[in-house]
Formats: sequence, C-alpha cells, structure tokens
Amino acid sequence: MPAYISGRNVNLTFRPPNRGPVRALQNFDIDIGEGEFLSIVGPSGCGKSTFLNVLLGLIKPDSGDIRMDGKPLAGPGTDRAMVFQEFGLLPWRTVQANVELGLELKGMGGDARRKLSQPLIEMIGLSGFEGHFPHELSGGMKQRVGLARALATDPNVLLMDEPFAALDAQTRDLMQVELLRIWQTAKKTVLFVTHQIEEAIYLSDRVMVMTKRPGRAKKIFKIDLPRPRDYEMRVTPEFNKLKLQIWNELKDEITV
Amino acid sequence: MLDEAAPRQSFTDKHRKVLLGLLAVAIFLAAWQAVFLVVPFNKLFVSKPDLIWDALVKLIASGDLIRDLAISAVPFVYGFGAAVVVGVALGIVMGWRERVSYALDPIMTIFYASPLVALAPLVIVFFGVGVSGKAIIIFVLSVFPFIFNAQAGVRAVDRLLINVVRSMGGTERDLYLKVIVPSVLPYIVAGARIAVGRGLIGILVGEFFAASEGIGYAIARFGDLFALDRMFACIFAIMVIAVVLTEGIRWAERAAFPWRAGQ
Amino acid sequence: MGGARGVPVAGRTMTDARALETGVAPAADPGAPGRSLWHRLEPTILGTTSIVVLLVVWELLPRLITVSAGTKLFFTTPSQIAGTLWRLFATGSIWTPLGVSASGFALGLSLSIVVGLPLGVLIGRSRTLNAMLDPFITAFNATPRLVFLPLLMLWFGLGLEMKVVIVFIGALFPILINTYEGVRNADKTLINVVRSFGASEWDIARLVVVPNAMPYIVAGLRLAIGRAVLGVVVAEFFGSESGLGVMMVQAAGRYQVDVVFSGLIVFAVLSLAMTAMVQVLESRLTRWRPQRAGEE
Repeated sequence: MPAYISGRNVNLTFRPPNRGPVRALQNFDIDIGEGEFLSIVGPSGCGKSTFLNVLLGLIKPDSGDIRMDGKPLAGPGTDRAMVFQEFGLLPWRTVQANVELGLELKGMGGDARRKLSQPLIEMIGLSGFEGHFPHELSGGMKQRVGLARALATDPNVLLMDEPFAALDAQTRDLMQVELLRIWQTAKKTVLFVTHQIEEAIYLSDRVMVMTKRPGRAKKIFKIDLPRPRDYEMRVTPEFNKLKLQIWNELKDEITV
Repeated sequence: MLDEAAPRQSFTDKHRKVLLGLLAVAIFLAAWQAVFLVVPFNKLFVSKPDLIWDALVKLIASGDLIRDLAISAVPFVYGFGAAVVVGVALGIVMGWRERVSYALDPIMTIFYASPLVALAPLVIVFFGVGVSGKAIIIFVLSVFPFIFNAQAGVRAVDRLLINVVRSMGGTERDLYLKVIVPSVLPYIVAGARIAVGRGLIGILVGEFFAASEGIGYAIARFGDLFALDRMFACIFAIMVIAVVLTEGIRWAERAAFPWRAGQ
Repeated sequence: MGGARGVPVAGRTMTDARALETGVAPAADPGAPGRSLWHRLEPTILGTTSIVVLLVVWELLPRLITVSAGTKLFFTTPSQIAGTLWRLFATGSIWTPLGVSASGFALGLSLSIVVGLPLGVLIGRSRTLNAMLDPFITAFNATPRLVFLPLLMLWFGLGLEMKVVIVFIGALFPILINTYEGVRNADKTLINVVRSFGASEWDIARLVVVPNAMPYIVAGLRLAIGRAVLGVVVAEFFGSESGLGVMMVQAAGRYQVDVVFSGLIVFAVLSLAMTAMVQVLESRLTRWRPQRAGEE
C-alpha cells in the first residue's frame, strides 16, 4: 500500500522560555494510507497531539521528512483540517459563521459559503441552530459544529485530537457512530488521537501505540473487524482480545 | 515533569524580564539627563535626575521629608483603619443577609458612582485642615473597596465546603476558622490593595486644599516656589511609597493565599 | 455570583477584586422565574424604600434635633438641593461650567482611548515591550496621578490643557491594562484554529484577539469613566478658572452647601449616564457571551 502520508525520522524538541527543553518526538515514523482510519493511543504527553499539529503545519519539526501525497509538507493548507479537543469554536460567532470560517479565510463570498455550509449543518443535525452562539449549545452539538467546520473546506485529511474527550460517555458513543457514518460517505483519510483503547479499536483500520516521551511508534495493530461496525461488536471476544493486547503494550508506558 | 535533565539556563534567560525592565528604566533616566545637553535647561520649568537626586538626599538628610511623611501618615492610619473596620463589617452583613444587601446596594452604587472627592471642600471647611478633616476624606474614599470586596467574599463562600465541615462534625468555630475566614480574607486583602490608592488620593486632596504641613502640602508648596527638583523628589517619594504598599500587599496575597495564585 | 459586577480581569495588575471597582452592583440574581411576586419585587422595593427613608430622615432632621447655629451653616436638605438644582438649570447658569467640565472630560477620555488601546495591544503582543514598559506602568498605576497636579499646573497653566492632561493620565491606565490583559488572554487554541485555516497575523487579530479583548476593554472603559470624572473634579478644585468643580469650591467657601450637593449630583448623574451608555455598548458587543453564568 503506497502511503498517502508518510513521516520519517521526525524529531522535535520544545524549548520553552524559563524552562528546560522537552523532547517531544524522537525518530518518529508513520505511514497512513489514503482513505485509512488510523488511531494513535499513547500515554499523556507522549507527543501524539504534537504530531497532529506538525501535520497540520502549525509546528515545524527540527528534522525529518514528512510527505503528503508525495509532496513535502509546507505550512497549513486546506487539504488538512483539525477537529480540536476543546472544540475551538469562536465564541463570538454563530454556528453558521463558525462552520464557514475556513471558507471565509479562503476568500469565498457569502452566498457561495452558504451553499456549502447549509448541507453540512443539515448533515450534523443542527438545522435551525444556525444563528445560535456556541455557549447555547451542548458539548455534543459543539463538537458537531467543529466537525462540520473541518469538513467545510473539503480536506483530504481529517486530524482529530481527542475530539470526544470532553463529552460524556453516552454522547461520545453517539458521536463515534456519527463519525463512522460521515467517514464512510465522505471518504477522508483520518488520523485520530485518543486515550481510549475501545474508541480506537471501534473506529480504526489500524491502531498505533506510542511510547512515552520522547514519542516513537511502539507497535501497530491491524483491526480486522468487518465494517460497517455496530455497538454489539464491542462485546465480542475478538474485540476484547484486541483491547487486552493493546492495553498490554500501553501499560508499560504509563506512569501514574 | 521533565524527563530529561534540564540544562542550566543562563542568567540572562532566566531574568530576562527584570533585566529588560531595569534597562528601560536606565535608558529613560539617561535620556532624561542627556536631553538637556541639547535642549536649554530652565530649572524653573523642568528638572533632571541628578538635581532631583541631590534634592532628595538633602530632604532626607534635613529630616523634612520624613517629618512631612509622618504628619501625613497619621490621618491616613485613622481614616484607613476606620475604613477597614466599617467596610468589612458592613460588607460581611451585606453578603450574609440578602435583605440588607437589597436595601443597601442601590445607595452604595449611587455613593460609589458619585465623585465623593467633590465633598472634600465641604469636609475641610467643616472639620478644618487638621487630622480629622483629612482622616474623614481618606475614610470616605477608601471604605468602598472594603464593603464591596467583603460582600463578594462572603457570597463566594462555597456552601458545599460548609456542608463538608458540618458533616465531619465541625463546630461553628471550625466553620469560621476553616472555611469562612480563609474564603473571605483574600477578597478583603485585595480590597485593601485598591483602597490604598484611594486613601493616598485622600491625603493629597486634603493637603492640597488647605493644609500647612504634610507631603501633599510640600508638593504644592514646592510647586508654588518653582522648586522643581524638590517637588520631583517628593513626587518620587510618594511613588515609592505607593508602589511599596500596593506591591507589598500583592506579595502578601501571594504568600498568604497561595491557593489563589493564578486568579 | 460575585462576578456579576464586571468582567473578571485576572492577572498581573487587574484582579477580580479590581474589577469590582466598577461598582455597578446587582445582587444575587433575584429574577429567577417561579418565585412569588413578592420575592421578585423584594430587591426593588427594599432598595427604593431605603433611599426614600434616607431622604425623608435627612429632610426632617432639622425638625427632629436642634442644630447649633454654626452647624446650620453647613446643613442643607434634599428639598433645598432639589430647588437649587432646578434654579441652576432653569436660569441656565449651570450650562457654562458644565460645558467646560464636560469638554475636559470628553477630550481627556478620548485621548486616553486613542493612546491606551493601541499601546495595550502592542504590549500584549510583544514580550519585550511588555518587559520594558512594565516598571513604568506598575509605578504610575500605583501612584495617585493627583501628585502630578501641581507640576501640570506649572506646565499647562489653569486652562483646558491641564484638565485634559490630568483626565488623560487618570483614564489611560485602566484602558491600557485591560486591553493588555484581554489581548494576552486570547485563547491559544482559537489562534491555532484560525492559523490552521491559513490565517494571517491580521486575520488572527481580527478574528480572535480583538473580539476576545472586547469585554476587557469595555470593563476598562467603565473604570476609566470614574477616573476621568475624578480627574475633572480635582483639576477644577485646585487649578482651574472655570467649571463645575470651581463652582462647587466657590460655593463651599460661601457656605452654599446646597450648591455643592447640586454639583455632586450633576457629576454623579453624568458618570452614571456614561456608565449606562457603556453597558449598552457592552451588551451590543458581547451578545455572544453567556449571560452572567459564564464567569466560573
């Protein structure tokens, strides 16, 4: 399988003022196929979110080679979009204006923006909420807006940084189902960072376990569960076996 | 947190902020001094750092400055002390008893919105230019931060914590010592920080008006005499006192209430 | 709940407590639905009652107790003050001093906004500039600006310029410091969000930094109004030839206590009206903020 996104030997050290340097990524390698759903699990602070920000183009690594569709990565671009853990909605913008943010920054006019945002708002089930401000929405609704905003610019790659971590357990389950539905119709490549092993298995084609900081890929699990997946699958023996295997890899990396 | 030995940071990196600040102050003073190499110097209109420094040293050596400050300190202590007692008591009652706050909030808001300094001429005419007139002005100006902050502090007491202490068998005394005082005190101290500035305004207003002694009078008199070096020296002295008082309280807040750091 | 008084402005120089200085103080939210009519009206009734009681007692005081002849000189009643206010406006004799005071106030406050806003944004965005200006801002903010009054009288005379300058240095710091805090507290995630869509520095300022700073700036403006009024009053007390404050000092010297109180009321109404205007502006600009509840 030719990799759609590939990272080789990526190194990154943070040098915050007033503190010592922190090595976030060391010889980090990754390959993601086109249209693949890849999850990364790892201990807190292992650099998995950092790597998403590198892919997004917000952080430049110190060294290493990152390519997307064969071309080296250079800065932010509309071919990638991020869904943030704390939603990252602009509180002073309505639902619609938040969804249209990326389109607006591309210089698209109001009518054209509306044509694109309207079906997306419908898809996430927030028709009638276009004029609401984020503080008037529930957590699940907010993250739907975050998802619609990321999809609005029609990126090839969705980067998701623990997108459901701030939601309660039931909302989270529903959002996972929704995400799978959208992924299957929209055919995006997804890189999904999470703390939850079960979430990673349920959603992904492959799950990467990272080491503690400085982060490297420790082991990659292929998830051969059939699609479309449903909730019952989570209680099957295969699912639980995978869960245990991944946990066994992960637990050595975690220090309390 | 760090999983690598943090290499020692250089002195300049660590104290960058302080060093830049000192540098800026040094540049400012040097520029002030140097500008009169180009611009003609008129000592009846401006002054410069070396002259101000000389004047300050002389004022301190002669004891004049200390005496003026001591004279101004007396009404400040009375007025400010009364503001603490009255303000905190009133604020706590207003915070605790909803009805009292309903009744008094509008009046307080009106008083607070009025420039009460405007009553200073009346106070001075009535009470004279001595200690009592100044103390009353200082009290009127500095009492409100105590009222408002004590009230907010009482309102901010977490009822959950009261229940926790009660459920563990705490007495009323425990309730006060372990929950209420620690919750309210930071608000009151923060109020004191604001009140200090307003109290200093009170001193100056009182002494600019019609005093015959005190630091405010000294500044006004040196202005009348066109003795700018000495006037600047007195202004500098007030600046130092104001910064020491406010930053001192801020420091005390951080030291005494470390759990509030970052708020 | 305590946060209802203003925007919580945290950090270096503005603490939550400083925000209380805005002083507009609705108590705990009594308007919750489902409570009885009495409960909903209680705050208004109690508040009005206490003001009425205060006025009535004040009015009746000379009839209740015997006041010595000396004290009587300093005594006035609400009805006298109301009469004097009426006379001042009816004869039009208040307009000239009021105009003088208002122009000093308006010019000084405008100048402080024009200088304070950009400077606040600058030091909020630049660590170096912030570090360099910090000692000056801390020192001048802690010092009552009144100490500079004799100096300013010397430099600018007793006219409008001096008043404008004293109002300006009084109102500058609340605006400057609040703008700085608002800019500095811009949410890093939101900046990353717009950057990930390819936003320029200008876009970041337009979409994130400025809207985020808005509530802080408006709170600073409210504080600044109080300082500006104070500036006008003291400038006119000590070093002006005309204005409402001059009128009050002269009246105090002639024991016209009712005129002093009339002036005080005019000043109070002016600053309450300005504050109310700012509040309207605030609710317009910050419609996106949760009402009251947002301040954890």
